[in-house]
Amino acid sequence: MTTYQEFIQQNEDRDGVRFSWNLWPSSRLEATRLVVPVSCLFTPLKERPDLPPVQYEPVMCGRANCKAVLNPLCQVDFRAKIWACNFCFQRNPFPPSYAGISDVNQPAELMPQFSTIEYVVQRGPVAPLIFLYVVDTCLEEEDLQALRESLQMSLSLLPPNALVGLITFGRMVQVHELSCEGIAKSYVFRGTKELSSKQIQEMLGLMKPAVSGQQGRPAAPQDPSATCRFLQPVHRVDMNLTDLLGELQRDPWPVPQGKRPLRSTGVALSVAVGLLEGAFPNTGARVMLFTGGPPTQGPGMVVGDELKTPIRSWHDIQKDNARHLKKSSKYYDTLANRTAVNGHSIDIYACALDQTGLLEMKCLSNLTGGHIVMGDSFNTSLFKQTFQRVFSKDYSGEFRMAFGGTMEVKTSRELKVCGAIGPCVSLGAKGPSVSENEMGVGGTSQWKVCSLNPSTTLAMFFEVVSQHNAPVPQGGRGAIQFVTQYQHSSTQRRIRVTTVARNWADAQSQIQHIESSFDQEASAVIMARLGVFRAESEEGPDVLRWLDRQLIRLFMFHLRRSPFLQVFNNSPDESSYYRHHFVRQDLTQSLIMVQPMLYSYSFHGPPEPVLLDSSSILPDRILLMDTFFQLVIYHGETIAQWRKAGYQEMAEYENFKQLLQAPLDDAQEILQTRFPMPRYVDTEHGGSQARFLLSKVNPSQTHNNSNGWTQEPGAPILTDDVSLQVFMDHLKKLAVSSST
Amino acid sequence: MDDLFVKPGNQERGWNDPPQFSYGLQVAGSTRSPLTKRGPPPPAAGLQAPPPCGDPSPDQQATSPHLHGITPPPHKMTTPTHRITPPPSGVTPPLSQATSSPCGSRLPPPPKGPDSKAPCGPRAEPDPQPEPDLQAVSSVLAEALEACRQNVSRQVCEDIAKRLRLLEDSWTSGRLSSTVKRRMNALTLEMKSSHWSAADDIHRSLMVDHVTEVSQWMVGIKRLIAETRNLSPELLAFSPADPVQPEPVGN
Repeated sequence: MTTYQEFIQQNEDRDGVRFSWNLWPSSRLEATRLVVPVSCLFTPLKERPDLPPVQYEPVMCGRANCKAVLNPLCQVDFRAKIWACNFCFQRNPFPPSYAGISDVNQPAELMPQFSTIEYVVQRGPVAPLIFLYVVDTCLEEEDLQALRESLQMSLSLLPPNALVGLITFGRMVQVHELSCEGIAKSYVFRGTKELSSKQIQEMLGLMKPAVSGQQGRPAAPQDPSATCRFLQPVHRVDMNLTDLLGELQRDPWPVPQGKRPLRSTGVALSVAVGLLEGAFPNTGARVMLFTGGPPTQGPGMVVGDELKTPIRSWHDIQKDNARHLKKSSKYYDTLANRTAVNGHSIDIYACALDQTGLLEMKCLSNLTGGHIVMGDSFNTSLFKQTFQRVFSKDYSGEFRMAFGGTMEVKTSRELKVCGAIGPCVSLGAKGPSVSENEMGVGGTSQWKVCSLNPSTTLAMFFEVVSQHNAPVPQGGRGAIQFVTQYQHSSTQRRIRVTTVARNWADAQSQIQHIESSFDQEASAVIMARLGVFRAESEEGPDVLRWLDRQLIRLFMFHLRRSPFLQVFNNSPDESSYYRHHFVRQDLTQSLIMVQPMLYSYSFHGPPEPVLLDSSSILPDRILLMDTFFQLVIYHGETIAQWRKAGYQEMAEYENFKQLLQAPLDDAQEILQTRFPMPRYVDTEHGGSQARFLLSKVNPSQTHNNSNGWTQEPGAPILTDDVSLQVFMDHLKKLAVSSST
Repeated sequence: MDDLFVKPGNQERGWNDPPQFSYGLQVAGSTRSPLTKRGPPPPAAGLQAPPPCGDPSPDQQATSPHLHGITPPPHKMTTPTHRITPPPSGVTPPLSQATSSPCGSRLPPPPKGPDSKAPCGPRAEPDPQPEPDLQAVSSVLAEALEACRQNVSRQVCEDIAKRLRLLEDSWTSGRLSSTVKRRMNALTLEMKSSHWSAADDIHRSLMVDHVTEVSQWMVGIKRLIAETRNLSPELLAFSPADPVQPEPVGN
């Protein structure tokens, strides 16, 4: 008899799904009383080394508005070779190739252990992957050199048959021809002028010549042979491109004193998207933007070129004092939507000490599934290694990145889907399972995830629609099917189908069972995503008030103080960056982001997890804190003194040396694999960088509440922030007094 | 083993820049189970303390036994001039490696300066290997190029030849580190044995780990490997192995 803990874990391991509730209330009325809606975190391409894909097409229900895929929940009549769809109850004949199936010879997709199954489908010609580099040349020489080298290195990491292209920009935008011989040519665009896709294609000479005398003809299609001047297979053009990259110069336009360089990011991206749009719709393509500062010219500019006008802060935004914000956000939003429609994705690699305009540009990646990487300089290991990891391979030597994903959700008729939150856009697919109540990206049962990897996770929201007092079907279960079609990095098209079910329960008589099926971790992350979604589209303080009414206490305490909802002390770009990662990572990583891990190393015993509280900070301990974005190793006061005195160098204090090494070894495990690479802080009691730890722990001891006489361990923290205890007390009062 | 190392990050450009792992280490990935446990919840009276959040990790290896079974012996007062009490002393028996991570993979001490390339780990004995011979390396590459001339365009062959010359220049003028030289030697040995994927992998690890030294010419090697692996075997005949036996490839 498995516990719910085990049940939840098994289901996550097999299907990549974590539901907030694992028993569903059978009536709509009861369901709405739950603070946390019926919802789940779903990882469509969860790594399954034990699940080889099958080499045939999925069998689908024949009903036009159903088309659910054959799955273990379907009733099958092996003699008559008929199966009944569990979603719409239509009876379907098996295709001829299934003539040999029987009770003892079942196809994989009917077996319960294949509730998640992947199909490889041969459809049409194989389309290569495309990588289009869009490179800012307004960088310091040291940074440009480091970036050149990283790009040259990446040519060795790209799939050999992939197409690659190069656009550079500064004041002007240059599209480089990658011909194999002769002089290098490029097409130059002014960075100030917004151009339509058609204009871009015309200027690049990509349109087929119009046949004379044909009036009123639709726009000429792109000439694919012409496009390939700009996008060539890596294996053919790598030497040329290596030289071209090696010869990239800084933007030649001089930057006067007191001014910023003129950076035409908006036009550069528009040219990139336009270039891909005509010739390669719905092929896996990544536009990779490398930028060292904010856009200062043309459409999408974030700040002017006068240094004395600083780039917008949260304060400016709240005071409605951010001149370019609305217009440029809209510009990038339009561009992002166009890109998503084409099935392409945009990565942003932003390395600069000041902000680069991530707040305005974030939709480019958030809507398309592209990455955002934020660093201080291209000449840091954080950028170099994170960039290398974009091309990381899985257990079978294949690239982890996948493209052109579309995800569809089917539900049994007692459920409807309200929406999704994650790196996706709506496909506007209406149907019987679409709810009118929207949560996240709603109003559809299909979404597009243009770029995804094995950790990409979407939060899905559902609604129970059966009527109050309708009898709970005996042994009845609600079912949900996720069908994800995508282009694998090997360019194969694949379809992954996950079908899950949970029992209905009558809330009146089985409320305790429903409560025991509650998955606290999943619910916490799901509610947090909802909070972030609202924070990004509504006013901040309202979100915090909404959150206080939710009753998941410990987690919410940390969420409230987290950079996802608390913008104090972070720039708008930093907030955008943290939120970007939060709404796409899987559950474990998301939990770390809100409630960091803290491990303690001391002579008193083996390393152990400790509470994220100021009482955990002790003089004879080393702490390792993982916030996902940072790894902090903090040496307590005594440890720091010993280290300074050099005891670790003495032979008879070998165990102290090992104590110092232990957290480093554990940190290394994380550093070696995490994407993006976290920052790494090695600090000690009294060190200025200790603030990273001090700002995260629950300040149970502050200068406000600690008194000199107690023997309480732990360092008091200088903060006006309330402690968890105070927060809990306040929340208890709220929960009792409000009558919702 | 010099394809497995850790360098400090660039503290000048990024004050909290993480350490840089070699390609070999990154590809090897993580061998331990992740740290996913949380501390116990606050024991507050009257509060519904939530159960501890923490993924049930399959085993307790996360709390790896670095210090198990050690009770610190009584203090050993060494230098009376120190005012702080020294740590509990003790020499522990050599630890069995909790993980299979190779010896060159420990984090280095805090970086001393921007240029310090502290390759970590105890490399007690001086490296006894003689530096590989340029002749051995370039003869393999030249033979491969010759074999390609029949099927591959003149332009491409010239391009590759140009880069081979760059490689030789860099080698003879001492601009290449011994690590790079050794690995180039290993690469050519793999080519000789027609182990194309292994050769390709070495080229990749050199590009990732030593891009500054090799970026000008490595793409030529990459191309050469790609072209020669497509040739039919009889076109490719390398001269017999030279007398200098290099170290085995430690991937």
